[in-house]
Amino acid sequence: MGVRALTLALLLVACGGASDDRGQRTSASPPAAPPARAVLAPHPDYITAGPPRQSIDTVTNPFAGDENAIAAGGRLYEQYNCVSCHGGEGAGGIGPTLNDPRWKYGGTPAEIFQSIYEGRPEGMPMWGGRIPDEQIWQLSAYLESLVGEDMATVNWPGVPAEAGRRTPVR
Amino acid sequence: MRSARNLQVLGSIVAFVLSSGCAREDDAPSVPTGDAPAVRSAGDWPEDGQWAMPAKDYANTRYSALSEIDTSNVAGLRPVWSFTTGVLRGHEGQPLVIDNTMYVVTPFPHIAYAFDLTQEGYPLKWKYTPDVNPAAIGVACCDIVNRGPAYADGRLIYNLLDAHTVALDAETGRELWKVRTGDINLGETTTMAPIIVDGKAIVGNSGGEFGVRGWIAALDVETGEEVWRGWSTGPDTDVLIDIATFRPFYERARGRDLGVTTWPADQWKIGGGTVWLWLSYDPELDLIYYGTGNPSPFNPEQRPGDNKWTTSIMARRSTDGSLIWAYQQTPHDNWDFDGTNENILVDLPFRDSVRKLLVHFDRNGFAYTMDRVTGEVLVAEPYVHTNVATGFDLATGVIDYVAEKQTGGTGPTYDFCPSHYGGKDQQPAAYSPRTQLFYVPTNNMCEDWETFEVSYIAGTPYYGMSGTLHPGPGGHLGEFIAWDAVAGRKVWGIEEPYPVWGGGLATGGDVVFYGTLDGWFKAVSARDGRLLWRYKVGSGVVGNPITYVGPDGRQYVAIYAGIGGVWFNDVAHGAEPHNVPQPSAIVKDLGRHTSWGGMVWVFAL
Repeated sequence: MGVRALTLALLLVACGGASDDRGQRTSASPPAAPPARAVLAPHPDYITAGPPRQSIDTVTNPFAGDENAIAAGGRLYEQYNCVSCHGGEGAGGIGPTLNDPRWKYGGTPAEIFQSIYEGRPEGMPMWGGRIPDEQIWQLSAYLESLVGEDMATVNWPGVPAEAGRRTPVR
Repeated sequence: MRSARNLQVLGSIVAFVLSSGCAREDDAPSVPTGDAPAVRSAGDWPEDGQWAMPAKDYANTRYSALSEIDTSNVAGLRPVWSFTTGVLRGHEGQPLVIDNTMYVVTPFPHIAYAFDLTQEGYPLKWKYTPDVNPAAIGVACCDIVNRGPAYADGRLIYNLLDAHTVALDAETGRELWKVRTGDINLGETTTMAPIIVDGKAIVGNSGGEFGVRGWIAALDVETGEEVWRGWSTGPDTDVLIDIATFRPFYERARGRDLGVTTWPADQWKIGGGTVWLWLSYDPELDLIYYGTGNPSPFNPEQRPGDNKWTTSIMARRSTDGSLIWAYQQTPHDNWDFDGTNENILVDLPFRDSVRKLLVHFDRNGFAYTMDRVTGEVLVAEPYVHTNVATGFDLATGVIDYVAEKQTGGTGPTYDFCPSHYGGKDQQPAAYSPRTQLFYVPTNNMCEDWETFEVSYIAGTPYYGMSGTLHPGPGGHLGEFIAWDAVAGRKVWGIEEPYPVWGGGLATGGDVVFYGTLDGWFKAVSARDGRLLWRYKVGSGVVGNPITYVGPDGRQYVAIYAGIGGVWFNDVAHGAEPHNVPQPSAIVKDLGRHTSWGGMVWVFAL
């Protein structure tokens, strides 16, 4: 008797108990035996050792570096209105910048894919299931192509703030 | 330095007072309005020393008759209390002061604080943190602001960013009810300050940048239950137009189902016209006045027609929401000229008789003086530099637009003024019955636009354009002006280096207050705009000053400091490690003068 069949049997017993509560039982059979918890311990049928789970760091974008896919991703970036939140070429706006090495939810291919696929809690919509996975990878390829130098922060050395509106000295 | 400057200011005040003879004689801290030279507004009432509505009164005057602080002594104003809200985003709006309690609502996550003004240090009476969905952040076009609570009968009522309205027991902070009014999955948020009219909280939605459909709704203050909802677009039944009682002044606004027929098929369903700013109410006429936002998308080529009732001033009955009149300032808007700016209700002599007026400073650069009974435009004049229009036809109520400043078409449109931020934006003006002048925070920016076809995807921005801002004539980006709405002319102006994004406050002491993006809180003379006092409040000001009488009988002035709104990115350089957007070119040095903040300041003599 396999574990699945046993589980089914236990479920049926449990359901019988439920109908007992509703007063629908007709025969005066003795109460069902308490669930045999010990019986459930081994799961040899479906828990097997298997290969180790793939690390998220090793997931690669099937389109990484593919110029055609990057171009397609760039078009999708505008067509799906990504540009309206994240700015032209990822310059930022309502949503975070996407043109620098700073990532709020991680910048590995898997994490970028996940951000697009599942959305993120502060308003990034969920696109998984709404657009083909292939397009998500194309978008990811485009975003990976945008990543450039970290943006320099502007400092204002030596110029009193009230002295005038000069170009900042870097 | 400081005392020398104060002496200088004092000297000029003395000289001014001697020459003009306009100084107040009485010095009581709390003064009734009996000495005001004109009827202030619909439903005028005596000064109670409180600030119980977002704009002080139903008329949206932002005028307090308090006069302890006046032009002769304001130079001695000093901070007496401050509080950090713990939120570093745009602090638009204003506190309320009722029964010696100050109520503050922060930007997202919209914490409400109640402070006991009778105790030293203003101890906290209660604090309330709502359950609000952070997903709303991603569908908020212009920072995660809240423009303040409303109060009625022991209840504090305000909107949450995730399209909910909440009511609290003002004494304890206990949540009484919370209702959902919109859907963030469609891009709907709620940021505006409600008003309470006859047991109903009047609220409206934001999201004109996401192709939502605008509405205004009345919620029962006891239960939160919706009493009526008037849509800005769609068939008359949705807009709450009864053809028997709808009386627009102009021919162009007459006809059936214009909210459908002035659009391409079904575009009205995603056509904007949101209701995200200040509401006014005239109890005598039982009319609620408000403006509707831009049509969606921005790209005008995707929506031929007038696009009613976007960019319009609406007058509705409070009882059932029925639309009594409507006037569209910018038919088929080409520039994101929302018509949402506040409507200030005043009764003033106009051509030999006292008229019930409505004064409105539109994003399109024109100041409208209207008859608020009929919706007739009596005066329409540009109050800022405007090149999108050459004039105004009083017979038809239509602006004469300049063809080459229209957007869309085959190529970019260069140098249209004002920019899509308008002659002014959310920053509300004030009115003083003593000077009969309006005090208007304005922008001085122009813009280039290029439009492109955009597809509608629910919950994502719906623009179809990209633009570049540049300074208007003179190079300054803002100006705080005094405006004569009867004559339709500017009386004086104070040029500011940045857009004046905070509101005005007029007082019985003939002192007018406003704050600036570079973090100055200023007091100027209501008569001539002379700077009388200023204080560096730290973060830039995008909120609105209020004034009230404390339990000690003294006059206080309060203001938020917390830059944000559309400017939050411009000083955010490095503020969030994962997000370092380039400041926009238009205010690229603003970060030299200020940074993010979230402060409540209180000043007194």
